[in-house]
Amino acid sequence: MSSFGFDSTRHNPAATGFSQAHNPFAGLSNRDDDGDALEFEDTYDGLGDQLDETDDVFNNDTFGDTSGLTSAPVGKDFDFFGQTAKVANAIEEEHVRFQRQQPASKVVQPAAQTFARIPTEAPVSRYAPQPVAYKPARTGYEKYSQEPVAELQVDAALWGVAPKKQPTPAAAPAPAPAPAQASSSTPAPPGRKMMSLEEVEAQMRAQSKKPAQQATPSPAPQPQIQPQIPHDNGYQFAQPAQPQAAGPADHLRPKEQSFHPGHGHPVTILQRPQSKHTPPAQPLVQQPVTQPALHQRLPQQPSGPAQPVQPTQILQNPNRLSGDAAKFGLHSHPTPPIPGNFPAHPSHRQQGSFSRQPLANHSAQLSQLTEEEKMAYMDQEAKRAKRNHKIFLMSRDNGIMTPQDKNFVTRIQLQQLVSATGNPNEHGTDESLAEDFYYQVHNQIQGGQRQHPSQPLSNFAQTYLYQTGSRQGGLRRHNRGPENHMQRMEQQVQRAVEAAKNKPKNKQLVIEGSLGKISFSNAKTPKPLLNIKRHDSSSEAHRPSSSHRNAHAFHGTDKKGELRSIETIYSTLMKMEDHDRLMPPPPSGDADTEAVQRFVAWSNDAQALNKKLWKALRVHDHPGPDNIHPFIALLSYAKGKKAMQRIFRHSTQEQRTTILTLIVVNLDNLDVVRNAQVTTGEMQLNSAMREKVELFSVAVMSTLFTFMNELDLDLVAGVLGLVCTRNVGLIARSKIGVSMLTMILSRAEIIKHGGGGSEQSWRAWDATYSQFFDLIEPSLPHIFPGTVHSGEDVYVWQLLAAIGIGAGPDQQQRLVLAVKDRVMDTVSLSKTLPQDLASQRLQNVNLFMRSIGLDVELLQ
Amino acid sequence: MAEAGDEGNPVSEPLDLVRLLLDEVVCVKLRGDRELKGRLHAYDSHCNLVLGEVEETIYVADEEDDDDEIKASRHPLLHSTVSRKSEMLFVRGDSVVLISPQSRAY
Repeated sequence: MSSFGFDSTRHNPAATGFSQAHNPFAGLSNRDDDGDALEFEDTYDGLGDQLDETDDVFNNDTFGDTSGLTSAPVGKDFDFFGQTAKVANAIEEEHVRFQRQQPASKVVQPAAQTFARIPTEAPVSRYAPQPVAYKPARTGYEKYSQEPVAELQVDAALWGVAPKKQPTPAAAPAPAPAPAQASSSTPAPPGRKMMSLEEVEAQMRAQSKKPAQQATPSPAPQPQIQPQIPHDNGYQFAQPAQPQAAGPADHLRPKEQSFHPGHGHPVTILQRPQSKHTPPAQPLVQQPVTQPALHQRLPQQPSGPAQPVQPTQILQNPNRLSGDAAKFGLHSHPTPPIPGNFPAHPSHRQQGSFSRQPLANHSAQLSQLTEEEKMAYMDQEAKRAKRNHKIFLMSRDNGIMTPQDKNFVTRIQLQQLVSATGNPNEHGTDESLAEDFYYQVHNQIQGGQRQHPSQPLSNFAQTYLYQTGSRQGGLRRHNRGPENHMQRMEQQVQRAVEAAKNKPKNKQLVIEGSLGKISFSNAKTPKPLLNIKRHDSSSEAHRPSSSHRNAHAFHGTDKKGELRSIETIYSTLMKMEDHDRLMPPPPSGDADTEAVQRFVAWSNDAQALNKKLWKALRVHDHPGPDNIHPFIALLSYAKGKKAMQRIFRHSTQEQRTTILTLIVVNLDNLDVVRNAQVTTGEMQLNSAMREKVELFSVAVMSTLFTFMNELDLDLVAGVLGLVCTRNVGLIARSKIGVSMLTMILSRAEIIKHGGGGSEQSWRAWDATYSQFFDLIEPSLPHIFPGTVHSGEDVYVWQLLAAIGIGAGPDQQQRLVLAVKDRVMDTVSLSKTLPQDLASQRLQNVNLFMRSIGLDVELLQ
Repeated sequence: MAEAGDEGNPVSEPLDLVRLLLDEVVCVKLRGDRELKGRLHAYDSHCNLVLGEVEETIYVADEEDDDDEIKASRHPLLHSTVSRKSEMLFVRGDSVVLISPQSRAY
């Protein structure tokens, strides 16, 4: 019984530290063993001296083979459970056998209960010698890592070449000697003598070869093949309709899990003790009676409820199963789950080992059958194997989570659901979009059956509830059916929903006499840490400071107000862009009134947003005489400039024209014009201003240019006329101003080339142009940036070219005179420059020269 | 300001003021004697910030490492600054002490 090598009569097996957990019944078993209880002290003295060191060889059998790692310390984490769990299959099998095979089980049961309390050393030592290679690292997770072994057991190919065929008796034990084999076929000798590994193996081999010829006090034939009703009385009682021939194939049917209630009388008495006791004890103690039966009895009941499936005593309480053992615990319950409802169980893993045993036994019988019967039997067998394999594949991950885990997760999910969708009135589309944007988008793509997040809750919950209910019910509540449990969960959900609904609508609670407020929160609306009341209308009255600020807002620049406007513009723009995305398809016809309505509603919204944007732009504000127009002030901010393109996209043509007009009218007020005056000296603009100019030309000018290219001549002439009302000299001395002028003039030129514009318009244009020319002429020599050497004057030559094209002969003359110096300087400079630079400069000058019919070549 | 007032009270929470600084150059004071100066690209309710073109200044109080006590007493602390530039920075909000707009010097 003990492979530690010392006499267990002198060692108290119940001493804590030797078994995995304290065994309250250890004393009892001890008494049975020895007749009197020994004091630990008495036993312990001298024990070390008397230890038989020679048998330490077998420690490997107990603790796993450490020979490969002799230097590695054994460690304190002996995993008795892991070892035991490995052979749990065999334990269960034996137990079932024992139960079933004993018609007179009443006699045996009390004894079994008593001996069930033998400490865990017994199973460990007994089953450790199995050939299954076992690494010394005892982490307690061996069961998980051993999953592949279980898979091997079921692999039909291992049973022989053709999995569908009836395996030969010899083939059965061949694949990976399984726990079932070892445990059932190697009964521990009556004495306390240790069996060596060789002995065990020899015994196994011997028994597998003559499985059916064991000497049996209870003859125990093969009840599945040959009708042996007398021996299976209890069994038959539970399964009266089971056909005999189908026996072998049937023995895995999940419904048989429910056979137990019909199993003789001890059912009620045994239920709890059975789940507690340590099964391997049985064969040991009851060897005279049970041993023979073990070999004969068929493991018809792989997952019988009476199985001593909990391999360790730490799990004695069936109500606090945990981890790995819990999945076995599933079967140990007296009121098993609804048969057939959830057949997937860890038991399928066990079936692999079970199936081998009956095969070995049947084969002996098989030889006596007729061909026909054989065929039928093999057919059945093949079907069974197939099905078995299928079930196994499906159940591979079974038992990873305990029912409690699942229950826990389900509850969390449900609660999240309830709290997230607690108040259906509160969430609009936007909010749900903000909550889980990706889900919503995904849902829309998928077709969006779930319009409202709260709508399918009951469905969803029910699905979960039904699933967990049947699983859960049996395990947790002994006298309640699964339906009850499901109802309980449903009630829970209902209560949770109600609670969420009943949550106070006002988000805070003021308790009388207290100074603070209690605010409620949930996942959706977190508890507000700052509670600043928003006074919409009365704010002005309450804040004299703000009204005071208003008073002098128009003196100087109201920076904060401008920034605020920009933020409003941006948020409005974003709303508009979002709104654009929601544009309904244009109604196909008047018949589709709903579509028409939707479209009308949409465009109403769009208009409202546009109005808001327009307001935020403050285009129609009238600043004081000394002040810069607020819209122009917005353009002094980088973000204001960047917004232009988007603003234009969401504006009407009229609005765009207004904006262009406004910019042109305030051209000399633009900071990029006013503060970026070029000088003919070496002085450069500071980098910040250069950046601004750059940004303005990229963001604003390009937008205006695109827009300008759609204007007709009248408007262009009007714009030029507006320019003439401003300080043209100032405008011309900035890059932005020059670009603007170039833009206007070239647009007119393009219209002229295109043959557009009426006679009258052209006359108007010519008048405006002459006026403009007169205004700009004096400034022309001063509009070049930097010296000749700086080489940044391309844009000026472009302007000059634009002017020159539209100029009359007289104006061209004046033009040449005005810029003659610069032209000559550039030409002479280009002679000193490298080839490519020189040609580039000359090309720039040529832009202008060609426009008036000249060429730099003439000057050289 | 009247215009802005029409849009509802513009400042309903302190961070609304930070919002106005978006895309502006701001000075951020951090814990650990650090200061950042850069363009505010984004922020959130935790004052997590994304700054662009950042210049970070770390004020280091160098203790005199020499064992010379007298010398150390004469110059108990030597202040120096270390500064470095980054193109883009994410600043976790819990280190932010202060955000201020840069005065418009230009």
